Amino acid sequence: MTFAAWLHHTPLSLALQSQVQWLWPLCEGLHFTGLALLVGVAGMFDLRLLGFMKRVPVAVVQEFMPWAVLGFGINLVTGLVFVVSEPAQYFSNPTWWVKVAFIVVSGINAVVYQFAFGARAARLAPGDDTPMSFKVIGAVSLVSWFAVLWAGRMLPFIGAAIGAGL
Amino acid sequence: MGARPRPPGRVVKPLLDILQRLQDSSFSVAFVSSPSIWAYPTVLMLHTVGLAMVVGPNAVLDLRLLGAGSRLPLAALRQVFGVMWIGFAINASTGLLLFVSEAADKGTQWIFFVKLLLIALALTVAVLTKRLVFGGETDPSHPVPPRAKVLAVASLVLWFGAIIAGRLMAYLH
Repeated sequence: MTFAAWLHHTPLSLALQSQVQWLWPLCEGLHFTGLALLVGVAGMFDLRLLGFMKRVPVAVVQEFMPWAVLGFGINLVTGLVFVVSEPAQYFSNPTWWVKVAFIVVSGINAVVYQFAFGARAARLAPGDDTPMSFKVIGAVSLVSWFAVLWAGRMLPFIGAAIGAGL
Repeated sequence: MGARPRPPGRVVKPLLDILQRLQDSSFSVAFVSSPSIWAYPTVLMLHTVGLAMVVGPNAVLDLRLLGAGSRLPLAALRQVFGVMWIGFAINASTGLLLFVSEAADKGTQWIFFVKLLLIALALTVAVLTKRLVFGGETDPSHPVPPRAKVLAVASLVLWFGAIIAGRLMAYLH
């Protein structure tokens, strides 16, 4: 039995499947809401790293980041609802794996920033330009979150046909 | 498509005919049935990019007005409106394409009109917020006026409501 087939028969998956009629639309609506929160807040921070809004200290813009984490949390939970209730439809879709890969890139990028540059960012004063390394972090984050959005929105159109063996 | 329970009246019928003609136009048919990912899927994807550009920056401003990240000078968030209007232009144009191509189906969905109403109200709230906070009568460095907090809550509720109504268009016919 494949992992997808096993997951599809777990009590959790069966419970989600039985509520799919209202649960799926609700989670989709929340998934788009979380997306706006995540991209809006993280995008503003990325723009600061890239050198926009120099008058504002990086650390001050970073105070909003818990809201981006909330957006990500909403999307992780609602995303898991989709995957656990219909695992095969995602696992067999290469575009879904592209999405997952870019989420991993975004995650690693954020962790690298936090551990390698966090202390340096706190020392940046208003008006200071960001070093090149910060600009790279900001650009990678911005590009990879939009890649996540692109792959997520395109996965019913691009990979689904491949996954279904067409 | 789209079963109608009652025969349309004298006013409604011509409107429905227009919607149907839009949906049946060679442009709409080509746009919807094109196998290219650069047609319908890309327009739909751009509609989501625009959504993020409108609602994301708005949410940042609203959260700031409600007390989040209060060390951030409000004046720095004036630029939020620039990003928002670019996002809105993307979504008005992609939204128009998506509507025209399925005019008879979407134009008869009540949830679509709920979405449009929520967007109209949210835009009104955004303009009022801009006037109140950045309009000159209030110094952005002063404490946030209570009225701006009311507008911020309304903005969050209306934009998130618009997103959910838009998503429900795939389900409520």
